[in-house]
Amino acid sequence: MLALVPVILLALSAQASVLKVQNPRYTVTGASGTDVQAESVSLAQKPSTPIALHGKETLKVTFQIVDEETGKGVQPHQTFLRFYDENSNEEGIQPVRVTPGGKAKFELNLAKPPLSLPPTPQRDPLKVTLLVGSPQYDPLAVELFDLVLPASQPAPQHPQESTFHPLPEIKHTFRPEPKQPPAFISAASVGFVLAPWVVLLGLWSQVAPRPSRLFSPTILPFILSLGAFEALLFRYWVGLKLGQVLLYGAVLAVPTVFAGKQALSSIAERRLGRK
Amino acid sequence: MPPKAVHSTSASPANAFTSLWRAYNDNTSNRLKFIDAFLFFLMLSGIVQFAYCVLVSNFPYNAFLAGFASTVGQFVLAASLRSQVNPDNKDEFKDVSPERAFADFALGSIVLHFFVYNFLG
Repeated sequence: MLALVPVILLALSAQASVLKVQNPRYTVTGASGTDVQAESVSLAQKPSTPIALHGKETLKVTFQIVDEETGKGVQPHQTFLRFYDENSNEEGIQPVRVTPGGKAKFELNLAKPPLSLPPTPQRDPLKVTLLVGSPQYDPLAVELFDLVLPASQPAPQHPQESTFHPLPEIKHTFRPEPKQPPAFISAASVGFVLAPWVVLLGLWSQVAPRPSRLFSPTILPFILSLGAFEALLFRYWVGLKLGQVLLYGAVLAVPTVFAGKQALSSIAERRLGRK
Repeated sequence: MPPKAVHSTSASPANAFTSLWRAYNDNTSNRLKFIDAFLFFLMLSGIVQFAYCVLVSNFPYNAFLAGFASTVGQFVLAASLRSQVNPDNKDEFKDVSPERAFADFALGSIVLHFFVYNFLG
């Protein structure tokens, strides 16, 4: 039980530490040094009209950060003013220097604007928020007021900005469908292409050697198996699959080889014997 | 096959052609003429197909390729068969009997036809 006591104490102390912003004030000073506007900022209710800066005016913001319990000034580790444009989602964050007594003074001189201000091409009001962070205290975010700055150049475009858009849709273009020539030309061409067959048959009828032993039992199997091969290939064209053709062809090859060997050797015998 | 000696002294080209033709007719065996007719047929067929492709349309292009390739391939096979079975070339193909040449021709033709039917689509 005793071991839990420091933990509980730590938790209590952590809960007790709350920071508070005291006496926030702002002053708008003209270029000549005269105060144009000076008001204290109400933390309970954000002012409805934004503060407008013109020309080379200077905005000064002062406040003090105190411990809510003791009322003593605290120097937090991190103190920032955040300028945020709700329309363009751009923001700029400025560090604020705080003295050990907790007093802080921030100056925004438009004659020398800081680089991190968001661009305001449309003169949109910027939300100004005070952010305070310190390890022993709860973090603090206070909305102070809205600020309207003079119009600036538009935000520069990122060099790779164009790559963050969807590309145009890919459209495929296809070659036009090939056309069949007219039926008459096709038919005439068929005649032309078949004409060499007439020539072949005519020539063969003149010179064909007489097939003396085509139907002898030694030669006929070879002729038949060659014919079977051609028929198989024709069936391949009509409808068989490649695997089937290779299978049937391999099966058919065996008797063809034997029949061919027998037929051709018998022919060779006949030829050599005749000589 | 080299042309046979032509027994002609005439210088006129028409005469030379007729004597060449006569020599071919007289001195070529019917078996070789049979193959020659086949070769001539293949040549004509290929020419006609090619002319159709160039002049009319190559629409079924794969069919044209198959047909043309079959004539060319068959021509090559038949020409080599013819040169191997020619008795005049016996000295060049000592190890190749005519039967062996025909077996080669048959095997080559089957393989060729397999590819041709593959292309025919």
